[in-house]
Amino acid sequence: MKLNAYGLLAAVSLGAMSLATPAFAQVTLKIWSIDGVDRVGIADTFSKEFDEANEDIVVEYRAIPFDDLVNETLRAFATGNAPDIVSFDNPDFALFSSRGAMLDITDRVANSSVIKAENYFQGPLNSVSWDGKLFGIPKYTDTIGVFYNKDLFAEAGITEPPKTWAQLTEYAEKLTDPANNVYGATFSARAGEEGTFQFLPIIQMSGGGYDNVATDGAAEVLDLWKKMVDNGWASKDVLSLGQWDSTGTFNSGNAAMAISGPWEVDRMVEDAKFDWGVALLPTITDGGERSSALGGFDWGIMSTTKHPDEAFRALEYFASQDNRIFEEFGSIPARSDIELPVTGVEKKDAALKVFLEQLQYAQPRGPHPEWQKISKAIYDAMQQALTGQMSSKDALAQAQTTINGILGK
Amino acid sequence: MGVIMETGPAVGGLMRRFLASLRDGVGFDILLVGAAMVFLIAMAGLPLIYNVLMSFQQVDMFTLGSLIRPWAGFQNYIDVVREPAFWLVAKNTFIFVFFSMGGQFVIGFALALFFAQNFPGASTIRGLFLVSWVMPGLVVGAIWSWILAGDFGVLNTILKGLGIIQSNVFWKSDPAFSIWAVVIANIWLGLAFNMLLLSVGLAAIPRDLYEAAELDGANALQRFWTITLPMMRSTIGAVLSLGLIGTLQQFDLFPAITEGGPANTSTVAQYWSWQMSFQLYDFAKGATISVMMLVLVLIASIIYVRSTRHEVRG
Repeated sequence: MKLNAYGLLAAVSLGAMSLATPAFAQVTLKIWSIDGVDRVGIADTFSKEFDEANEDIVVEYRAIPFDDLVNETLRAFATGNAPDIVSFDNPDFALFSSRGAMLDITDRVANSSVIKAENYFQGPLNSVSWDGKLFGIPKYTDTIGVFYNKDLFAEAGITEPPKTWAQLTEYAEKLTDPANNVYGATFSARAGEEGTFQFLPIIQMSGGGYDNVATDGAAEVLDLWKKMVDNGWASKDVLSLGQWDSTGTFNSGNAAMAISGPWEVDRMVEDAKFDWGVALLPTITDGGERSSALGGFDWGIMSTTKHPDEAFRALEYFASQDNRIFEEFGSIPARSDIELPVTGVEKKDAALKVFLEQLQYAQPRGPHPEWQKISKAIYDAMQQALTGQMSSKDALAQAQTTINGILGK
Repeated sequence: MGVIMETGPAVGGLMRRFLASLRDGVGFDILLVGAAMVFLIAMAGLPLIYNVLMSFQQVDMFTLGSLIRPWAGFQNYIDVVREPAFWLVAKNTFIFVFFSMGGQFVIGFALALFFAQNFPGASTIRGLFLVSWVMPGLVVGAIWSWILAGDFGVLNTILKGLGIIQSNVFWKSDPAFSIWAVVIANIWLGLAFNMLLLSVGLAAIPRDLYEAAELDGANALQRFWTITLPMMRSTIGAVLSLGLIGTLQQFDLFPAITEGGPANTSTVAQYWSWQMSFQLYDFAKGATISVMMLVLVLIASIIYVRSTRHEVRG
C-alpha cells in the first residue's frame, strides 16, 4: 500500500515536470562574470537580453566578485561544473586558453557575419590568442595616461603636460607644495596587478617586454620614480594605494598629476573642482617609443561546454551590442569600427580622445599561462627599488632571473 | 534443528549484553571515542593529510580535483626555500609572532592585574575591553588601515600634535614600519582574549596565600614573583600556546592593512601561503608553506606539553 502511494507520488511529480517543460528542447547556458556584483554592467545586462530574446535558450547568469572569479572558475573546471561562457580580465585569460580550458573559436569567427577578428585592436586580440588560435573575443578595453590639474600647472607657470618621464619628475618637483598638502604626482606602485599595470609600459617603451625586464631605460625611469617618492614629490603611499584611491587624492586637489585610466573620468567630472586634462603617458626620451597598459576583459567559451553553438550565438549577440557599451557603461569597445558618441561633457570628450589615441600604443600583459608569477616578479622588483632595498638595476636583474625560471629559459 | 535451538538463547544473551554495554559500560565509551575520532578524522585529519600529500606533488589546474598526481618529492620544499623572499618572510613571521604574542601577553597581564584590584566598575570596564575581541579581523584591519594611513591618518595626526614626530610616518608603505603596523593592530585585537584568560587565572589564586605573605612582610613585588607567577604557570602556558596558534592563524589583518607590501616586507608565512595558492595559483607551494608552519606549531606544542606535564602531576 505504502509503496503504491510513493509510486503514485513519483508518477505525479514526473508528470508535472514534463508539463512544465515546453514542447521544444531548451538549452541552458551558464555565464559567469564580475558584472552585477556592485553595479549593473555589460555581462549581466546583455545576458538577460539574450535570455529574453531567445526562446530556446535559458541563461543562468552568475556575478562573482573580481577577486574570486579565477579561483571559482578553476575549482569549477576541476570538478566538472565549469560555466559555458566566462569573462576574464585579459592577463588571466591565457591561464585557461593555454591549457585547453577554452574552446577554440578560430573557425567559428572566420565564418561569422557578426564577429570579425580584423575589427578588434591588436592588443586586446593578442590576449585572447594562443598558439595562433583564437579562444575568445575582447569585451572592452582601457589604458592609462596622465591626468593633470591645469589650474596648478598655470600657477606653477607650466604650460604643457610632460612629454618625458624626466620632465614629469621635474614638474612634480615644481608642483609640490607641502604647505597646502599638494604632491606633484601620484601613481600606483602597489604590490599587485595594478603595480605591474602601471610599470610594465615603461619596460615596454624602453624596448623590453615581460620577458625582458632588465633594460637600462626601465631602471632609469624607476630611479626617477624613486626620486619623486624619496623627495616627497609623490606620497610614499603610492606603494600601497590602488589606482582608484591614488586618483582620489588628485580629485581632492592633493596631487597635481595622476597616472590612471578612463574609468576615473565620470567620478572626476563630479568631484574635481578645478580644470583638468589628460595627456599621453610620457616617453623615456623626447619623441621616443610609446607604450601604455592594456586593460579590459575578454569573453570566452569554456572547452567543457555541451552547447558550443548556442554559446557562440551568445558571443555574437554580445559583440553586436558593442556600440552601446560606452554610452551605457562607460567602457571603451576594443574595436576600430565603432565610432564613439559625443557626450557633450567637454572634459570627458577631450579625455576620451586622448585615451583612444593612447590605446593605439597599449600592449597586453603576456599572454602567458603563468602571468600571475611574472607579474609578481615585476611588481616585487619595482617595490624593492622604490623602497631602497635594492638598486633599480639589481632589482630588475633579479626579476629577470625569476622570470627566466618561469619561462624555462 | 537442534543446533539452532541451542545457540539461539546464547546469541540473544550476547546481543543483550552488547546492547547493555552500549548504554552503560565499555561499549558506551568506545562509541563516544569512535564518534569523536570519526569527526576528527573527517574534519581535520583528512584535509591535513591531503595538504601534506599535495606538498609532495605537482599540482596544476587540471589535477586540482584528483588525488593521484605526479610525485614531486622534496622539490616543492627546495623551491620554497630558494624563493628570494623566503628568508624575509621567515624573519617577518618571527617578528610578527614574537612581538604580537609578547605585546598581547605583557599588556594583557598588566590589564588583568589592574582590573583584579576590585575598584568600583572594574568588572564592567573589563567587560567593555572584550569589544575588540568580538570584532571580525577584516573590520579591525580596515579601521587600523585608516588609523595608520600615511598622509591623512589618525595616528600621524595625534603623534604630530603631541610633537613626537615632525613629518608623517608611512606605516603601511615604509619597509621599516610595515610589519609593525600589522603587529600593532594584532596586539590590539588579541589583547582582550589574553586579559580575559589571565583574569580567570588570577581569580583562581586563593586570597589567603596573599594574606599570609603579607603577614610575613612580603612586599607587592615579592608577592607577584613568589605567588602570582608560580600559581599562574599553567594559565600562562595555555595563554602563550593559544597565542602562538592565534598569531599564526592571523590572516585578515594582512589583506586589510598592507597586503604584505611594500616589497614583501610585511609578508608572513600564512599570508604567503595564501598568495601562492590563490593569487599565483601555485597550489603545491601554498601547501608546502602551510606544512612548514604546521611543523613549527607541532614543535611549539610539544615544548608546551612537556613543560607543563610535571606540574600537572606534581
